Amino acid sequence: MNLLLQFLVDSILLGGLYTLMAIGFSLSFGVTRIINFAHGEFIMLGAYGAFWLFKIWGVDPLIAMPAIIVLGFATGWLVFNSLIKRVLAAPNINQILLTFGIGLVIQHIAVILWSGNSRSTTPEYALQALTLGEVFIPYGRLIGCAVAVALVALLIAWLKITEGGRAVRAVAQDEDAATLMGINVKAIYALSFAISSALGVATGVVVSFIITVTPFMGFPMLVKAVAIVIVGGLGSIFGMALGAFILAFTETAFAYYVPEGSGWSEGVAFVLIMVILIIRPHGLRGQAEA
Amino acid sequence: MRLDSLLRYAGFILAFAVLAIPFLGLPGLADIVFRTCTLAIIAISWNMMAGAGLISLGHSGFWGIGAYTAALCANHLGIAFLPSLFCGLISGALIGVGLALVTGRLRGIYFAIATLAMSEGFRIIAIMLPDLTGGAQGEYLKSTLFPGTQFVYIVASCGAVCAAAVSWLVSRSRYHYAFRAMRANEQAAQMVGINPMRYRLTIMALSGALASFAGAINVWNGGYLDPNVAFNLHTTLMAQIAPILGGIYTIAGPILGALAAMGLGEGTRLWLGQIEGVSLLIFGVTLVACVLYLPKGIYGGLERYYASRMRPVYGNRADLKDPKP
Repeated sequence: MNLLLQFLVDSILLGGLYTLMAIGFSLSFGVTRIINFAHGEFIMLGAYGAFWLFKIWGVDPLIAMPAIIVLGFATGWLVFNSLIKRVLAAPNINQILLTFGIGLVIQHIAVILWSGNSRSTTPEYALQALTLGEVFIPYGRLIGCAVAVALVALLIAWLKITEGGRAVRAVAQDEDAATLMGINVKAIYALSFAISSALGVATGVVVSFIITVTPFMGFPMLVKAVAIVIVGGLGSIFGMALGAFILAFTETAFAYYVPEGSGWSEGVAFVLIMVILIIRPHGLRGQAEA
Repeated sequence: MRLDSLLRYAGFILAFAVLAIPFLGLPGLADIVFRTCTLAIIAISWNMMAGAGLISLGHSGFWGIGAYTAALCANHLGIAFLPSLFCGLISGALIGVGLALVTGRLRGIYFAIATLAMSEGFRIIAIMLPDLTGGAQGEYLKSTLFPGTQFVYIVASCGAVCAAAVSWLVSRSRYHYAFRAMRANEQAAQMVGINPMRYRLTIMALSGALASFAGAINVWNGGYLDPNVAFNLHTTLMAQIAPILGGIYTIAGPILGALAAMGLGEGTRLWLGQIEGVSLLIFGVTLVACVLYLPKGIYGGLERYYASRMRPVYGNRADLKDPKP
């Protein structure tokens, strides 16, 4: 019984984190229709930012987060305007290769600057845990999940209420109509890409005190985000959260109930991608278009 | 001399050089030629799929399957060098056929994601089945069957020349036009009577077989295999960087690209020493620069140079030029 409770709590905490990760990734994909294979590298940069600020000045990752988010936003905006903008009309293959190349460059700059060693941020709360009855809740994961949910709520509010948010949704729905309504589509692309990068580095800050930080941490997280988008569809934040929780529950279930499951659970994302694309080539919720 | 015929002569000379070098007894040079050959084979294989509009991010999957098939056949069944390569080749072709059947309706980005999921999935399976694959500790090839380094090099050279010949033959057949039509617009290609499934099956079987052959021969050279080596994303990256660098959708492109990428890699190693990450950083910058500034690669650059130098005196022969690369 308490194993089941523990399983539920772990899945939900992981699911919250995955939601943030996937929404950050899908915002730029949904608006610009370019898969950003460098998104994992933004997560990695955020995690390193949090790590170094903590290591050198002892700044708590949560306090450092706003500054890192602003930097992430600026970096994303620069990357979009200097590189991605040039391939907006190019064939898919160029777009994929370009973002792949950008990811490779960022990753290996990190390897050269900070070496391939694993590191982790250890604020006090990351080392403690809450024990409720027989359920064990690490504070780090709890806080991570809470921050993730708060950021997602902020994003939703921004998308629903503000002028800019409405413009982003309009471009995501129908580019041509948005252009006719006087929206500067290129500027919205840049804005979405920058916000997507900001959410990416925010994800990185959150995971910096949950998992180990290495230059190669981004790619597996990117693949998970892709799996979530394919499961949940691109259209809605609700779908994305659903996909995130499906992935979180399946992975945790594997880790808990299958012998040697924590190894196999790494493969859940790949199986989900394959199965969903085979059964429903347009994504589970029908919005993914080939 | 026209660019195409020039490249054809250069190709013949290169093929002879590649076939002759293993016999010269220069281990350093032969090793570089071996690595260039395996790189050229996966580059040709990737370029074949790209030519049909299929973007693969899963070539490390084919490579790793070929490597594991060869190593396991040799170790557990006692199969000798050449037959084990054949087993690797067949396994790659089967995986290609399977992938083509499974991803039948996927296009563009979604096909690319599916191939990525496949190769990463293979990696997890290889880690999690230690009884079969040796797991994360890896598997050493039994040395009793080893035919000698020189023989491995010779076979790799022959393999690279054959791969180039196969891609040339494909470009001379009607398949070439079907692939180009599919790349431009698969639905339109279907309307004019091209069955995309049939062509996908053919090209992915061929491409998978070539990539697996490269993986299989590489394991005979290295003698060791573990899941993270076999299914390394690096293989996928090199398989796409070489054709992009050399000139995508052309026959000469992947070969030029493999030579250039090898030169670039060795050059950075000599110049900057073995600093971790530098060579991949250079490859990343190359990839970005190529996509932005030289989308047709070295071949495209040569073509432009020739077009500017060899403009005919009267009339515009450019219109009559054979569009075939």
